[in-house]
Order: sequence, then structure tokens, then C-alpha cells
Amino acid sequence: MIPIEESAYDMLKQYVESLRKFFANEEGRDEIINDIEGRIAELFGESLKKGSTCITEDDVNKIIESMGRPEDFEGEEGKVHSQLGGEGTSDKGTSYDYANTAAPRGRLYRDSTDKILGGVCGGLANYLRVDPTIVRLVFALISFGAGTGILLYILLWVILPSKSLEHTSSAKRLYRNPEERVVAGVASGIASYFDIAIWIPRLIFALPLVLGIIGNIFRHAFWYDGDPFPGIVFGSFGGTLFVVYAVLWAVIPEAKSASEKLEMRGEKVDLNTIKNTIQEDLEGFKTRAEKWGGEFKDRAQEFGQDFGKTMGQKGQQFGSEAGSAVRRGGSRFLRAIGIMFKAFFLFIAGIMAFALLVTLLAFMVAGVGVFPLKNFFLEGFWQNFLAWTTLLLFLGIPVIAFITWLIRRIMGVKSGNRYLGFTFGGLWFIGLVCAGILAASIAQNFDARARDKQDYTIAQPKTGKLIVKVPDSKVKVYGRWFQMDGILSMTDDSLVMNNVRLHVVKSADSIYHITAYKYSNGADESSAVRNVNEIHYGIDQQDSLIYLDRGFSLQRGTKFRNQAVTVTIQVPVGKKIVITSSVNRQLTYSFHFGGRNNDWDFDEDWNNRYESWSSDVEYVMTPGGLERTNKIKNEDGNDDGDNSEKSAIEKYKKSKEDLQKEYDKKQKEAEDLKKELDKPVDSTKYHYKKAVSYNPSQDTKGKSTNKAGAEEESNISSEASRMLFMQMVL
Amino acid sequence: MDIQNTQSQMRKGVLEFCILSIIRQGEVYPSDLVERMKSANLHILEGTLYPLLTRLKNAGLLTYRWVESNSGPPRKYFVMTDKGLEFYGELERTWQELADAVHALTQPPPYSSSEETQPQP
Repeated sequence: MIPIEESAYDMLKQYVESLRKFFANEEGRDEIINDIEGRIAELFGESLKKGSTCITEDDVNKIIESMGRPEDFEGEEGKVHSQLGGEGTSDKGTSYDYANTAAPRGRLYRDSTDKILGGVCGGLANYLRVDPTIVRLVFALISFGAGTGILLYILLWVILPSKSLEHTSSAKRLYRNPEERVVAGVASGIASYFDIAIWIPRLIFALPLVLGIIGNIFRHAFWYDGDPFPGIVFGSFGGTLFVVYAVLWAVIPEAKSASEKLEMRGEKVDLNTIKNTIQEDLEGFKTRAEKWGGEFKDRAQEFGQDFGKTMGQKGQQFGSEAGSAVRRGGSRFLRAIGIMFKAFFLFIAGIMAFALLVTLLAFMVAGVGVFPLKNFFLEGFWQNFLAWTTLLLFLGIPVIAFITWLIRRIMGVKSGNRYLGFTFGGLWFIGLVCAGILAASIAQNFDARARDKQDYTIAQPKTGKLIVKVPDSKVKVYGRWFQMDGILSMTDDSLVMNNVRLHVVKSADSIYHITAYKYSNGADESSAVRNVNEIHYGIDQQDSLIYLDRGFSLQRGTKFRNQAVTVTIQVPVGKKIVITSSVNRQLTYSFHFGGRNNDWDFDEDWNNRYESWSSDVEYVMTPGGLERTNKIKNEDGNDDGDNSEKSAIEKYKKSKEDLQKEYDKKQKEAEDLKKELDKPVDSTKYHYKKAVSYNPSQDTKGKSTNKAGAEEESNISSEASRMLFMQMVL
Repeated sequence: MDIQNTQSQMRKGVLEFCILSIIRQGEVYPSDLVERMKSANLHILEGTLYPLLTRLKNAGLLTYRWVESNSGPPRKYFVMTDKGLEFYGELERTWQELADAVHALTQPPPYSSSEETQPQP
């Protein structure tokens, strides 16, 4: 009988169990176990002989250290292979099932072999006869959701004893499939587990994401405020799914070994199926074995480090176990985090590519939408043709290519056709060339620019003031119409362009003038001139109201050639003009006041000189330019247009009043203080001091009683004298 | 590239051969075997050794006998069988070939190749 501590005994039992499990299928299993137990007993004997009264945990640990843990045994990796290829141990055709051990199944343990952190989920899963990955997922969800999951986990970690448990390997386990993977094989593993087609879980993961993105982009592209798809739902749902995917990626183990792969598919793990599986992927074999070897080495190192520490109580054991698990889990976590980063970057790259292509799609759609305008823009057969080919090839091809790629990826089809890529690329390039030619051709149509001047006869307003208005659209549009806000609108037979600008300048003489300058581009001089003559712009007058047309119309046959109209109103000095808010609303650009009478290239002018102006404010033309009639009023300028002279006088009056008030106030103050001074003086209250700084003018003017020279008094008297002085002046 | 992996592979390759050579020299029991290997600076875990010995024994290369001990349970003493001897001979040949090859490959060449092409004065 060997006296041994209970905790040490537990440890020993546990170790032997792990050995048993490890050699479960070894032909000489019992023998090996016996040998090892014998050796251990021998070592115990030596220890006792040395003088210790009983075997402690420390002893057991040392022994286990020297014997080694099962995972450290060399030449033992992949018990499967050795089983198949074992020399002399001809396969007896035994079915490859993990043998029953004496471990009672009714108790809840922590699984010492199947553990990521502390084996809590593994033990729990074994107790419940469930796939440990599921348990882990549940735990992860709880932890994410409430945070109490983590506490619960730690609690269980401390409480539950650790034990190596065996698995019933006929149960189907959820793994990640490393062979068939787009990102991490999560979808593929799930598909195997549930026996559904691969593209189903992929679609489930991808769809809300894709829809959400499309929804967002459409929303931004077309200024909807309502979503075509309930974007909010999908947006956040897609995001949640992404997080779920990442968690699954970290938690679900990869099906590396043949038995794991079989477990993933749920096939019976016996010799024949294993043989088949191995024959299926003989290539990955070697690499996997090497990986294992490396992993075992890692774990051996960690193990060695762990047992270097002193252990005593269960708390200490827990501490060291936690340490090793953290290190182990740490590297795993880091790997998981690295994977998550990789996933994140892949995700972002995917999003960018996708967004790019959806933008192209939007362009294409916009191109189609602008279609009715086509005839106003394009001239001749070639331009039309080029436009079509550009649309189809340059814009359409990338969209088609992307959709094809997407479908293929989701379906899991490997594209073996190289030529497809070349074809797409070639067609797109042709489209690019067409786009270039089209642009050049169109630009050529804008080569020349012509201008024409049109004078309007107006009657001078009796009030000496012009009010400029833009009436609501004279051109009633019925039927099919297309409108780009503020720039042009179109009916079936004519196009109305709003490219009208207003210019107010000083008149050279003493009467009002209104002229309109019409501009147009063209392929050459004559066609430009022709285009200019096609512009019709009208002005109406009703006494002092000037109605400017909102836009000018072009006949249907006329092409868009950047036609523009500038209306110049010349205001004589001393006369007034009011620009109503309708102008601001209806005409495309604001206008500026200036001294120049004609501007040839009015485009650059706007950028150079821009003054802010206010609607419905009366302005009067002065020699220096337009000025507001009433300068003092606020920005919203809801005044009825006071005369500037009047206001000046008023200002002057006001200041005079203010001064008067001030004077009165000061006078009163002076009187009050004087009264105080006349009171009988308390010698302790005032300190009479010779006044040092003395204003000589005071003496001559004021009735100052500053003989004593109290400072207050001198101050008062100087004030009083100043007041008197002013009074005299005024 | 994990160097520890490669190193461990190298070790694994020669383990069996080393064990067999020790046993060939005379009968030995496992923990003594571990000690002998340690002294030659080739460390092996007992947990690795026992299964290996058992396998060799099951393959008929080794055999053992029990020896009673005062200080504890009886021990297994392993000796080599004839078959084992034959097996060992093969391994020895292989090892020699391997050692020669590696030695040849890891030696720097005695002269540089450029010298070779130059005509001797």
C-alpha cells in the first residue's frame, strides 16, 4: 500500500485515464499501461524510501512530467495512421470506436482534453451528450449578450473538477470545412452539419449584407428618403450576421483530421471510411501531420513551463491551469483576432469593389434615365451608335461580370473558363474606346461659341423704380416630361433651358435699358451662330414690373450646345431697382452688380466677382455702383425702402438726442454729488488732498469749487465743466 | 517554417535505431534505457518509450523477462531477438548511408569553382 494524498491520487487517476484513452486502440494497450503504472509505482517507492510519509501532488506532478503527457509522446501522432500502417499489427478489421472507459457518465466534469479555455463547455457538452461547439456558441452568445456568461464560465471553471472525458464519436459534430471555403469555411461546415446545400448558408450570410448595401447605395443615389428595401433592418441585420459569422469562425474548430472530417459529415468513423477519406486527400496529409507535430511541440513547451511552477492547493492548481490556458487560449485568441482582422479587411475590400460596381450600375441606370434627352445632345448616326456601345460595353460589362462572379461564388462553382475573363476585359476595353471617341466627338460639337445681342424696348417706369420678377413657368408642360431641377425641362416638342442669368449695371445714359445676350456653342462658327438664332427669350413689362422669362425654349431639332442667356438691366444713376425673390428662386444662378457693361465670357465672371445680395430689397444706382437704399436695416431687409437721405438725417438726429440725454444725465449726477458735498463734512470720511493733476481749462470755464481739492470733487467739477462747455457749443 | 517540427522529425527518425542499439549491447530495463540515452544527450520521455518498446516487442524484435526487485514491482528486462538483430543490421546500413550522405553534403567544397576553370600557370 502506498500512502498518497487524495488530491495526488486524483491527479494520478486522471493521468492514467488520459493514457488509457490515448492508447485506446493500441494493440498492446494494457501492457503499456501496466508498464507505466509499474514504473510509477517504482518511483513512488523511491520517493517513500527517501523519507516522505506519503505521496504528494508534487510528487505526482514530477512523475507525470518525467513520463510525459500523452500529447507529448513522440511517434504517436495520428493514432489513425499507425493503426493502419502499424508494422506487424495487421488490422484485424476492428471497428474504430473509442473504447468505453470506466468513467461514469453521470457526472459533470471539465474536459481536460477537449478544451479551448478551461474545458467547461467540453465537459458540459459531454454531460449533455451534445456537440461541444454548440455549447461554446451558446456560451459565447450569453457572454456577448449579458456578460454574466463570463462570470458563469469562471465559476464553473473553479468549481468543476477536470477530467479527461471520452467522446461518442458517432455523434455528428459541427466543424468548419477547410477545403470548401470562401472565407473560412463556416458556411460550408454548417451546410455539412445540417445536410443542406452549400449555397444556402452562404446566401443567408451574404444576402442581408448585400441587400443592405444595395439599399443604402440606391438611397443615396436617388435621393429617396424612404428605402426601397427596409434598409435599416437589413443594415443592422447584415451587420449582426457578420459578427455572428466571425464568432462562428473563431469558435468552430476546423475539421483537420480524417476522423474529424467524417464526424463533420456524420459518417461512421470506422476503418473503411477512414481509408476512403484519406485516399481522397492524400496531399493535405503530410502537411497536416507536420502541423500536428508542431502543435504537440508547442504544447509540450507550455506544459513544461506550467509544471515548473510550484503547485499545492486546488487554488494553486487552478491558477496555473488558468495561466497555461490563457497562454494557450491567448495564442488561439490572437489567432482568432488575426482571423477576424483578415475577415474584416476582406469584407472591406469586398464592399469597396461592390460599391464601385453598384455605382457603375447607377450610372447605367441614370444613363438610361437620361435617354429622352439623347436626341438633344447627340448628333448624327455615329454619335448615337457610339453612345449605345459605350453604355453597353463600358458601363454594362463590369456590372454583368460582377453579377456573374457573384453568382458563381455563391453557388460554389469554380470558374474554369479563362476566356470568360478575357472576353469581358476585351469588350470593356472596346467600350472604353467608344466612350473616348464619343467624348471627343461631342466636344468637337462645342468647338465654337457665338453670341448675339438682343435689345428690348421698354417704357421708363414712372416711379423711377424697376421691379424684376420671374413669373411661374409660362410654358405649360403636359404629357410626358422630364425634369432636371433648375436646369432644363422638356416636353414632347421643345426643350426649355433655365440657363439664364441676370446682370445689373450702371446705365451710360439717364434711362433704363434691358438687353439680352444669347450664347451658344457649335461645331463651327456658322452652326454656332445658327444655334444662337434658335434661342428665343422673352421679356414682359407692366409699367414698373419687368417679367423675365424663366428660361428659353429650343425647338426640338436643336441640339444642346450649352446655350445661355444673360439679361443685362442698365439702371441710370439715381434710379432704383428691386429684385424680387422670384428671381432667386427661378433663375439658375445669382447675379452680381458691377460696372462692366458687357461681358463676353460670362462664365469666368461669376467666379471672380460675387457679391451677396438680398431679395426684395431696394437698391439705388449711385456713381460707384448699386447700393442699398436703406443701409441701417438688418439682413432680412423687410423694409419699405427708406430714402437714404432721410435716414442719414435721422441718424444725425438720433446721435444728437443721445448726446443730449447723456448730458442731462451727467448734469444730474453732478448736482447730486454737489449736494453731498454741501453736507456737513465728517473729517474722517473725506481725505482732503492737494489735487496734483489739474486741468487748467477748468479754471477759466467752470464754476469749480475745487479749492480743497478732493479728488471726487475735482472729478465732478471737471465733468460739470465739460458739460457746460458742450452746452455752450450746442 | 517551423524549425521545431523539422527538428522533431529528425529525432523521430533515429529514435528506434538508437533504442535498438542500446538493447543490442545487453539486456536493459526501460528506465535504465532512458538514463543511457540521457547520458548520450538524446532525451526521450518514458511515455514515448514504453509504447515503442511494446510495439517492437509485438513485432518480434525484442523479448523480455521479468526480474523481481526489492525496491518495488518487478521489472521488465528487454533483449534483442534474432529477428531484431537482423532488423538492426538493416537499420545500421541505412544509418551509415544516411550519415555519409549528409556528411558529404554538409561539407564545404575544398576549392572554389572559379579556380577550377582558370588555366594553371
